[in-house]
Amino acid sequence: MQLLGNAFPETLTDLWTDEDTVELQVPRDRIVETLRTLRDDPAFGFFMLADEAAVDYGPGNRFEVVYHLYSDRHPAWLRIRTSVDRDDPHIPTITGIWSGAMFHEREMYDMMGIIFDGNRDLRRIYMSPDYRSFPQRRDFLLPDDAADSPAAGVDPLERPETWDLRRFGDVLTSSGDPHIDPRFLPQADPTPREKP
Amino acid sequence: MTRTAEPDPRIRDPIDLERVEEDRLRAVAGLAPAPRTGTEYAGFDLVGIPDRPPETEREREMFTLEEGEMLVNMGPQHPSTHGVMRLVAKVRGEVIVDIDPVLGYLHRGIEKLCENATYTTVLTYVDPMDYLSTMHNEHAPAIAFEKLFGVKAPRRAEYIRALVVELNRVFSHGLMIGFLALDMGGITPILYSFINRDEIVDLLSAISGQRMLFNFFRVGGVNWDVNDEFLSRLGTWHSRALKTVTDNERLITENEIFKARTKGMGALSGQQAIDHGVTGPNLRASGVPFDVRKAHPYSIYPELEFEVITQQSGDVYARYLQRIAEIKQSMHLIDQIMDRMPHGAVQTQVPGIIRPKPGRAYAAIESPRGLYSVYAISDGGPNPYRFRMRDPSFISLQVMPLLMPGHLLADTMAVMASIDPVMGGVDK
Repeated sequence: MQLLGNAFPETLTDLWTDEDTVELQVPRDRIVETLRTLRDDPAFGFFMLADEAAVDYGPGNRFEVVYHLYSDRHPAWLRIRTSVDRDDPHIPTITGIWSGAMFHEREMYDMMGIIFDGNRDLRRIYMSPDYRSFPQRRDFLLPDDAADSPAAGVDPLERPETWDLRRFGDVLTSSGDPHIDPRFLPQADPTPREKP
Repeated sequence: MTRTAEPDPRIRDPIDLERVEEDRLRAVAGLAPAPRTGTEYAGFDLVGIPDRPPETEREREMFTLEEGEMLVNMGPQHPSTHGVMRLVAKVRGEVIVDIDPVLGYLHRGIEKLCENATYTTVLTYVDPMDYLSTMHNEHAPAIAFEKLFGVKAPRRAEYIRALVVELNRVFSHGLMIGFLALDMGGITPILYSFINRDEIVDLLSAISGQRMLFNFFRVGGVNWDVNDEFLSRLGTWHSRALKTVTDNERLITENEIFKARTKGMGALSGQQAIDHGVTGPNLRASGVPFDVRKAHPYSIYPELEFEVITQQSGDVYARYLQRIAEIKQSMHLIDQIMDRMPHGAVQTQVPGIIRPKPGRAYAAIESPRGLYSVYAISDGGPNPYRFRMRDPSFISLQVMPLLMPGHLLADTMAVMASIDPVMGGVDK
């Protein structure tokens, strides 16, 4: 605890501990150097990335990327929380520090739509490449049998309100529906195709 | 009376390409479910290159073929992929140049389901994740929810938990040994392993009532106490289990063919393993003494006597030896647990619908495949606000592109089996 406080006086915005976890909040532009120091400084020796996860606090709020580190010199898990703007979900990648963060980051991109700048393999890992929603966001509701559920009757596979439209180029369409990319709209007068 | 023949909208002319194209456009616009043509299903055309531009640097590198190279697609139905995983291998002749695991065929969105379930029912949803270590899957959420809710399991419940997870570890490692031999052409070891697994599964069904998805852990304890049937089966199980393990050892360990195919194969240094997030027996086979039971003790493991076993070479053979050693270690732990098991209750009283105070909890355990951890956030409601699971075999799969280049395509099976991924856990 004391060590952390001394090492990152300006980085540290919040530090607390429970029975076996020490928690630390770091701004997102300092995350790479903080993690590198924690791994390489012999006073810390956090050599293992135990987990990297994303939390969505809902529309109008923020994302959080959470790192759990393990060191054989300290008895507790170290949890590092980083806030990410929900309207600008970018954060630097840490695959340069631990290559094993690759699948974690691909999963977070797939499920939450967080973009890890500098990651050289940021593609979907579970869903198919042409899928466009981000299923673990809070506004991706599960279809429900109850008629008064907000998700009643929706297409269970795609929820356009979670699409990050800037990822798919120019959006606003003549159909008036901002969720549909005009390149994919059926044309009113399609050129006649030949039947085989 | 004749019915009016209304055309069934589901039946369509199979060669109506105009209709197919219209369906595709409607699907892409989000107006209809996606049509499943063969090419779209595979994502590949006949040559093997994806039918879309590469999205990332790594994908471009993977799918750029030089003179004499070709792509070979293994899976998702290939038996040696241990489930529905696809491996795309870039080969030059029979030698692998690069390999790319393609996941998601078994993705069920368990994290999302758990966020829509109450704390009690979460423990049933996590069962089918890593279906060979079901008890471990329940252990980490149970610890995390107990931290959130501020209850502690009674000591007897902790002992029973340790007992069932060690039993589970024995058959999980046994199956890994059997599948490793099976993927290289030896059928007998898997039969011995299944004899042992069946006995353990019978034991665990005597205590939990289920054979595979046990649903045995509860927030604040376990569901049932050990009963007479369990104890009478366990009494004679030990010697028979030891026999199946030593039989397997006698078949495999000094087998010339096995040694020729596994020694030096897929060698992983300790530094590489840590860098790629490999944990569990695979990490210890590379010489790193990291075991969550020792490194960050939970449950009753501080009270038990055991050492962290490691191997040095980090190849497929070392991973096999590591599993054999850990089976014997687990059986030794089971003896200790049975000797020391205290009397008392097996469950703390908790309400039917648990509403913990807002907070966060992290719990990690040592599953047969490595560090399995749960990060749960409560907002005060009956469901976890966020429920995150780190599955060890998902992360361990990342070493495939590191291990395989330079080896023969046929050795992919040996390396895959030695990493021991379970697709239920990989795809969540």
